[in-house]
Amino acid sequence: MTDSYVGTREPRIDGLDKVSGAAEFVDDLDFGPDLLHAAVVESPHAHARILDIDASAAEAIPGVVRVVTGRDFPYTFGLYMKDRYVFAQDRVRFVGEQVAAVIARDPKIARRAAAAVNVTYEELPAVLDPKPARADGSPLVHPDLGDYPHVPWFFPHGGTNVAHWRKTRKGDVDAGFAAADVVLEDTYTVPRYAHCAIEPHVVVAKQNQAGRLTVWTASQSPYIQRDLFAEALQPLGLSHQDIRVITPYVGGGFGGKAGVTMEIIGAALATAVKGHAVKLRWTREQEFYNTYQRQGLRARLKVGATKDGTITALEHELLWDAGAYVEYGANVVNAAGLSATGPYRIPNVSIDSLCIYTNLPPGGPYRGFGYSEFHFGLESHMTRLADELGIDPVEFRRINAIREGDELPYGASMNPSGLREAIDQTAAAINWGEEEQSADPHVRVGKGFALFWKAPAMPPNASSASFLKFNEDGSVNVAVSGMEIGQGYLTAMAQIAAEVLSVPPSKIRVETPDTDRTPYEWQTVASHITWSCGNAVHAAAVEARERIFDVVHSARGYEDGSLYLEDEKVKCDTDPDFALPLRDFVITGLEMEDGTWRGGPIVGSGNFMPEFTSAHSDPETSQGGHPNVHYTVGAAGVVLEIDVETGKMKVRKAVLAVDVGKAINPAMVEGQITGGILQGLATVLYEDMRFDESGRLLNPNFTDYKIPTSLDTPAEVIPIIIEVPQPDGPFGARGVGEHTMIPAAPMVANAVADATGLRITSMPITAEKVALSLLEAV
Amino acid sequence: MRHEITFTLNGESRPIDVEPNDVLLDVLRTKLGVKSPKIGCERGDCGSCTVLLDGESVRSCLVLAVEVDGHDITTVEGIEHDGLTAVQEMLIEQSSFQCGFCAPGIVLAAVELIENNPQPTAADVREAISGNLCRCTGYEPIVEAVVAAVRTPPTSGGSA
Amino acid sequence: MAIVHDFKYVRPERLEEAVSALVAGGPRARVLAGGTDVVPWLRDDVITPDLLVDIKAIPDLDRITAVDGRLEIGALVTFSDLIASDVIHELAPMLVEMSHHVASIGVRNRATIVGNLCSAVPSLDAGPALLVYDAQIHMAGEHGTRTLPLDEWFVGPKSTKLAPAEIATGVTLALPPVAHAAAFAKLSRYSGEDLAQANLATLATADHDYRVAYGAVAPKPFRAAAIEALLAGRPLDGDIVAAARSLVPDAISPITDIRASAEYRTHMCGVMLERTLRAAASRLASDGPPYPSHLI
Repeated sequence: MTDSYVGTREPRIDGLDKVSGAAEFVDDLDFGPDLLHAAVVESPHAHARILDIDASAAEAIPGVVRVVTGRDFPYTFGLYMKDRYVFAQDRVRFVGEQVAAVIARDPKIARRAAAAVNVTYEELPAVLDPKPARADGSPLVHPDLGDYPHVPWFFPHGGTNVAHWRKTRKGDVDAGFAAADVVLEDTYTVPRYAHCAIEPHVVVAKQNQAGRLTVWTASQSPYIQRDLFAEALQPLGLSHQDIRVITPYVGGGFGGKAGVTMEIIGAALATAVKGHAVKLRWTREQEFYNTYQRQGLRARLKVGATKDGTITALEHELLWDAGAYVEYGANVVNAAGLSATGPYRIPNVSIDSLCIYTNLPPGGPYRGFGYSEFHFGLESHMTRLADELGIDPVEFRRINAIREGDELPYGASMNPSGLREAIDQTAAAINWGEEEQSADPHVRVGKGFALFWKAPAMPPNASSASFLKFNEDGSVNVAVSGMEIGQGYLTAMAQIAAEVLSVPPSKIRVETPDTDRTPYEWQTVASHITWSCGNAVHAAAVEARERIFDVVHSARGYEDGSLYLEDEKVKCDTDPDFALPLRDFVITGLEMEDGTWRGGPIVGSGNFMPEFTSAHSDPETSQGGHPNVHYTVGAAGVVLEIDVETGKMKVRKAVLAVDVGKAINPAMVEGQITGGILQGLATVLYEDMRFDESGRLLNPNFTDYKIPTSLDTPAEVIPIIIEVPQPDGPFGARGVGEHTMIPAAPMVANAVADATGLRITSMPITAEKVALSLLEAV
Repeated sequence: MRHEITFTLNGESRPIDVEPNDVLLDVLRTKLGVKSPKIGCERGDCGSCTVLLDGESVRSCLVLAVEVDGHDITTVEGIEHDGLTAVQEMLIEQSSFQCGFCAPGIVLAAVELIENNPQPTAADVREAISGNLCRCTGYEPIVEAVVAAVRTPPTSGGSA
Repeated sequence: MAIVHDFKYVRPERLEEAVSALVAGGPRARVLAGGTDVVPWLRDDVITPDLLVDIKAIPDLDRITAVDGRLEIGALVTFSDLIASDVIHELAPMLVEMSHHVASIGVRNRATIVGNLCSAVPSLDAGPALLVYDAQIHMAGEHGTRTLPLDEWFVGPKSTKLAPAEIATGVTLALPPVAHAAAFAKLSRYSGEDLAQANLATLATADHDYRVAYGAVAPKPFRAAAIEALLAGRPLDGDIVAAARSLVPDAISPITDIRASAEYRTHMCGVMLERTLRAAASRLASDGPPYPSHLI
C-alpha cells in the first residue's frame, strides 16, 4: 500500500506563504488610489438616548466624502436573535458603540472628521452587573426584547433583561441531595475576556456601478456573513446573489471573528458610496470593546455525593453578563445550559443558564463557548468535593466519569470516548500523588487536575460542502469555505483528500473562501470543521475516485471493484502489471483503439449535514431533543510552582490528554494543545477586562491586558493524543480546537489549593490575589 | 511640509515624499507596497510591524518615516534573495506557526538574534522574540524550530 | 491609526543648531530621540507639537565613557547599547539588569535611557537605577549648559526641570570609590514586557554603605533615605533586613490602579527590598546571582 497521509505529521501547506511574507491578509490587499477610508463615531456613554447628530462640521472638512448615521441604515441583524443594529438608532447601549461613520479620502481626514461629528445624548441609567439587571425594576437594555425575531430554541423574557433562559432538568435533584452524604455549594465568578487575535478586524467593501456588493473580511464565517448582510441590507434591494464575501488568510480568530460584528458597517458604507471601495479597520482599542467579548459568569453550584464517591445530584445556576447585544452570545448561554454537568454521569440534574443584558460590550463566541467559564467552578468544585469525601480527586473523577451510552443531561446518549485513558495518562504524566519540592525556600509546588468536555454548539442543520477537481499534472484543487484561522484546517483537508486519492498533500491546493467560487460552509467555529467539512471533503474525494474508476472501467474494461488508487496511479487487484498514472487521464480522458476518448476532467463534490440532530425539546427540561452532535473529552494536569511571598506562579509542567477520535495530523493537534493551554493559562494567571463604574473599558490595549509572551510559557507542555474513533467522523476524527483551553483555569485553582490550602473562587488567580490572600490567611 | 527622503529598502534605494507625521509602517505598506510588516496594535506592544533598521529590529509603528532618511530598512521580503533562510526552512518543516500574522516579525527577530549570536539557546530565543506577541502557538514550537535551525541547518536551506 | 496632528520636522547635525531650532520653535517645539514614547503620544494626541527636533544626527551623543570614577552616558544611548556595552558590564552591570527589564528588544533598540528620564513616567525603570549612582543630568540650552542632580530633576509624573528649548544631553554616574555591587528588581504582572508596578535598585558597598531607590510607588522615583540611614555601616543580617522592611510602608506612597493595588505594591516593596539587598550583598561577595537576573 501507499504511504498513508492521514495520521501523519505533514508540514502545513500554508507554511511557505506565512514564513516568507507571501500570505495576504485583508489589510494587505490592494484596492488602488480610489480606496476610501472610514472612521466610526462612538458612544461615550454606556446607556443614553441619542437626541441629535450634527455632522455639518465634519462634512465641511475637505476630503470627507460622506457622513452616515443610523438614519441612513435603520436595520437590525443578528445570528440567532435580531437585536443588533448597523448603527445605533434611538439609543446607545455600551461605551464604544458605533453611532455614525465618516468616509473620507484618507485615514487621517476620516479620523479628524469623526472627531468633528457632534452627537447630543441624554444619559440613561445603565446596568453593568447581571445580578441587579435581573432584578425587578431594573432599567431595560432592550425594551423591545419581546418583539425580536429569534431561533426557536431561545426563550427570551420580554419586559425584562433576560434574553434567554435555558433550563435543563433530569431526575429529581431534591431526592439526589437527600441521598448524598456530602453536599457542597459555592459560587464562582469569571470575568470577561478578550480574544486578542493579533490581526484586528478589518473590512473592505465595494458596491460596483452594476450593483454587485463584494466584501473582503477578516472572518471565520464568510457564508454567515453573506447571509446576514443579505438579510440586513434586503431593504436596499440586495439578496444573496448580489453579495460576494471573500476571506483571505485570517490572523487568528478564537471565535472573535465568527458571525458578523463590525463587518456590517463596511458592507453598509459601501452602499453609500457606490463605485468606490471603502475600508474600515478596527484599532486595537476597538478590537477590545466593539467586536465580541467572552461573557462574564457568576455560577452557583451545588453538588452532592455519597461516601463511596458517587455523585447523586448537581444544581448549577449560571448568570451570564451577556452585554448589550446577545445575537450570538445567547447561544453560548444555551450551550452551557445543556452541558454544565461536565463529563460526569449524574442521575439528577438541574441547570439554569440565564442570558442577561447589560450595558457592556456585546458578549459572543470565544474559544470554549461557555465551557471554559463553567468548568472553572465545576472542576474546582469536584476536587473540593473529593477532598471533603476523603477520596483522591483523580479517583473521584474515575468513579464518576461519563461513559459511552450514558444518558446526557438532556436525554440523548453519550458518544464513544477515551476519557478514562485520558485520566490515567494525565495522572501518570504529572506523577499524581507524588509530592514535589523546590530548591527555593519561598516556593511551594502544587498539582492540579481537571477534566473537560465540549460539544459543538450549532443549529441542527449546520452543514459543509466541498468541490474537488483534478488538474493536468495530476494535482488537485479542493474548494471549501472553512477558514484557515491557524488551526491547520487547509492542511487537514488536503490530507483527507490525499488519503482517498493517493495524491500527496503537497500536490493538493486548498485555498481560502470566496462565496462565489467555493461551496457552502456554515462557519469555522465550534471545533466542528475537521469533522463536518472533513466529511464533505472525504465525500468529494470518494466521488472523484468513483469517477476515476468509472472511466478506467469503461475505457479499459477492468471491473470497478478490482480497482484501487496507489501512488497517484490507478491499479488493479487482478492485474499486477496495470498502473495508470492519474496525470495521464484526469483531464484528457483515455483514448480508445478507434481514436475516440472516454472520461474527461475528473471532479467530485460532497456535502455533510448531521441528520440526527434536533433542537426541538421541552423548554422546561430540555428533554426530548438531540441538540449536540458529540462531545470531545479529556483531562489535564499541572505542576505549579508558587512563590508564597510574591504570589508569582510558574508552570513547571502542563499535561493535556484529549480524545480526538483520530488525529488527522498529530503535529496540528499538538499545536492546538500547546497554544490552547497557554491561552487558557493566561485567562487564569494574567488576563481580565476591567471596566470603570461608567462602563468604560480600562484596559483596551496590550499594555494592560496582558496576553502571554514567549517568556510566560510553561517550562514543559506534554500533549497526549487519545484516539477512540468517532463513528461519523472522517477517519474517526472529532474536533479539538477549543477544548485545549477549557481545563486550564480550574487545574491552576486546584494546584494553588494543593500547594497552599488557599481556595480561590474568582478568576483570574493573579500573583497579587494569591499573595494577598496568603497574607490574609496568616 | 513634505520631505523628500531616500532610504534603502530591501537592498534597493527608494526615494519617496513623506509628511512628517507619516509613520514608517504606513509608508511601507501603503506607499511602497511592502505588506509583511503588519498593523497589530500601533503602540509598540505587539511586534507585528517589526522591521530591521540598519540591521536592528524596531517597531515600525514607533518610527516616523522621515527618521529613516539615509538608513537601511529590511523586511522579511528582503532577508534572503535566493530562497529562504535556514530559520524559515525549519519553521516550515516543523509547522511552527498557525495563523502566521506574527510570523514576519518573529522571523526578523530571529534573524537579528542569529546575526548577534549564531548559536542561541532556547532561552535566548525566548528573550529575542518576547516582544512579538503570538496568540496561537504557545511559542514553544517557534522556539524549538529556531534552535533546531541553528543546530542542524536543513540541507535545502540557505544561510541563517 | 494615523497621526492626525501636523507638525514640522528637522534633524540638525550640531547641538547648537538643535537648540536654535527649539528656541525658534517656541514652546510647541519638542525633542525627538528614540521616539518610543513620542510617537504613541503623537498618535493619541497626548502631545501636539508644531515642531519635532530630531537629535539623532548629532555626533557624540551616543557615547558611553568611563572617566575618573564617573560613567558618562549620552542622550542617544539606547537600552540595547547599555546591554551591549563592555564598559557597562564592567563598571555598572546593574544597568544591564535594569535594561533587560525595559520593554523588549525591538523597543530597547530605539529607546534611550535619557529619553526615559525625560518622559519621567512614574514607572520608569531608569530612574531608581541611576539614582543609586548619584547620577547627574546634563542639559544644553540657549544660555549654555547646566547640570542637575537626578533627584532634583524629577518634578512629578511626566514632569521634569527641563526647560523649554533645552536638550538633555546625557547623564553622569558617580561610581562609589570602594568595591560595590547592585541589584534591580521590577514588579510586573508577568515575565514578559510590562510597565513597573514597583521597581527598586539597591547598591551595597564594601564599607556597608547602602543605597535604595524606589520607582512607581510615588509620583517620582526617589532614594529611601530612612532605610539607607538604618542600614548604613552595618553588615546585612536577618534582623537588620527585617527592620529595613518595616520602614517600607512609610517610605512609599503607592496608588491603586488597574495594574496593582497599593496593598500589593507595599507588600512587594518589602519583598523586593529584602531580595535585592541580599542579591547586592552576595554579588559583592562574588557569590550572588549573575547579571542580569530576575530577582522576584
